Amino acid sequence: MKARTLRVFAALSLSLTALGAAAQEDGVLDSAVVRNRLYKPAGHPELSLSVGLPVQTHLTAHYFFNAGLAYNLFDTFALEARAGYAASRHTGLARSISESFLDREDKRVTDELEDMWRMGLHGVVGARWAPIYGKISLVADIPVHFQTYLWAGGGLTNLKRQSVIQCTQVVDRAAGVCDNRTAVDDRGSATENYWVKESRVAPVVSAALGFRFFIKEQHGIRLELRDWIFKDSYRVNLLRDDWEAGNPTGEPAGSPGLTHLVQFDLGYTFSF
Amino acid sequence: MRPFRSIALLVAAVPALAFAQGAAPAQPPAAPGSDTTAPASPSPAEPPERQRTQRDAPAVPQSTPEAAPATPSAPAATGEDDTDSTPSAPAPEAQAPAATPPADAPVLDTGEAPRTTDAQQQRLVNGAPLYNPNVNVHIVQKKRFADEGKHELVLYPGVVQVNGKFTNHVGTALHYVYHLQENFALQVGGQYNWYSDESDFNLELIDKVREQAQAASSLLLQWGAHAGVEVTPLYGKFAFFNNSLAQFSLVLSGGAGIGKTRHLIRPEVANEVEGQTYQVPARFGDTGNKFLGEVGGGFRVQFGESYAIRLEVRDLIYTARVDKVDGCNLADFEALEAARAANQPFEGLNLSGSCKVAKFDGVDPETKKNYREDIILGRDLVAEPSSDVLNNVSFYAGFSVLF
Repeated sequence: MKARTLRVFAALSLSLTALGAAAQEDGVLDSAVVRNRLYKPAGHPELSLSVGLPVQTHLTAHYFFNAGLAYNLFDTFALEARAGYAASRHTGLARSISESFLDREDKRVTDELEDMWRMGLHGVVGARWAPIYGKISLVADIPVHFQTYLWAGGGLTNLKRQSVIQCTQVVDRAAGVCDNRTAVDDRGSATENYWVKESRVAPVVSAALGFRFFIKEQHGIRLELRDWIFKDSYRVNLLRDDWEAGNPTGEPAGSPGLTHLVQFDLGYTFSF
Repeated sequence: MRPFRSIALLVAAVPALAFAQGAAPAQPPAAPGSDTTAPASPSPAEPPERQRTQRDAPAVPQSTPEAAPATPSAPAATGEDDTDSTPSAPAPEAQAPAATPPADAPVLDTGEAPRTTDAQQQRLVNGAPLYNPNVNVHIVQKKRFADEGKHELVLYPGVVQVNGKFTNHVGTALHYVYHLQENFALQVGGQYNWYSDESDFNLELIDKVREQAQAASSLLLQWGAHAGVEVTPLYGKFAFFNNSLAQFSLVLSGGAGIGKTRHLIRPEVANEVEGQTYQVPARFGDTGNKFLGEVGGGFRVQFGESYAIRLEVRDLIYTARVDKVDGCNLADFEALEAARAANQPFEGLNLSGSCKVAKFDGVDPETKKNYREDIILGRDLVAEPSSDVLNNVSFYAGFSVLF
């Protein structure tokens, strides 16, 4: 790892010294487009694996693990099926809110927070359109061929939601405890919590902008910015007395809007 | 030891490549398909190794070797560089492949013959046929447009914050870049955020759970100015379908400067006075100028010699410590609040010199809003002095003119 890092830094440093610029004197080349594409994926199936990290987190954070199977109908167009699992958690901010809100008894009527649903298992089918084929000169002497593509598709996902407002069994209001931990300051000892939980299966739409860098004949690296979009759902006009007594309260929000989970995906592709 | 050997090789290779490229005009013109590598036994007549790697025909001499003059002088049509691992220089005995070459395949002049005549010329150095006079070693062949010595004026009409958890910024930026060298430039720039406000998410927290971001975490950037450098460590080209060529560079930038910040004191509210309702716009408090750091990266896609489009992501980093609002610190606000509660005038209060007391006194003639009501809100912001390092990451979309 160290050696590779050194190599990359050295190469980058050398490239920045503009030594190569001396070789780029005033010659103007013909106007040929990227001719003779080295990689032509048309007609080949491919398998891909990817990991997605959240670009930004508010109350939830997701880490996607996906596998995909694609078939390249043309060099520029492919159909792809993706399935995977999103590991998710509440952020520190969400936990902080949940703990402090238990003790905020002056707020007795409120609404649930938006964008609290967390994805789990999911599967989508989509189309990938790669109109751009190019190449770059990486650190002066490594040619890298790439495609830039747009991806769009839809499918189904399993969603779960845990409230940070509605605690059905307050254990320690001042300390913000709503679980069965053995000691107040030992959150890890809890095996069960009493926050209101929901789950559902919902349609999900996914769109992405990505780069696929070809590595030799069959391998490739994909970098994507991918958005997972599904309809939000939460309740409004919640009464503290009701939820703390364990009773359902409030009504569904009229226009809850859409939840966007924007991820940075790093993937590997194998072409058959 | 291996890393050092690699670095040494790299150090040796770069000037060698540069020299080889720099010497190009004196050499015979590049043979088409001159990428980094060539197979040990280049023979265009051989079938391609991989069916998937279907490339158009490499440079094909249209005349027999015997018909060629001994001294190459007329430049051949320079092929592009995308044949990577194919034989880039035709061997003397090479014959045209059976397949008809594409219309845009480079062709040697009829009077020119291949010149790769001996083993030394076919020898590969680090995978490159450096001794082959027919091969001009390029990865992505010479840039069509040189940047060195050029000035570039970049207007980013839309600068949109993309990491706005507690804040939202939208603005416009103008940068001037002087390309000192082909891949090194100096830049100065300024940005004005014509929209900067707290995010809906922050307002949702205030509304639903009575929580909000710390003052330092929701500091707003009104404008910024910075100077720095820009490097283009790599460049490339791409085709949109097969129709048009675009040359692009990866640009990385860094710099430092100064930015003016503010904080929301009170969101827009309705003020009801004597049966009439007035809309009172949001009020912001000045939180001073802050040191600004800037790092970024993106693509510059050049169209023609004088125009380019830039798509970049830049992070404006500023340290935020909020202990004064409109110049007033906590002690000032405490004194003002005490005077307000007692309905006393503010004149004669022992306030710090920087406190702009006039901003918290009087009644707005249009909205009838009593500014004294904002004292408590200002005090809340500085009651617990907070500090943070803010990353204002924005997407910059702009166009530039080079001259």
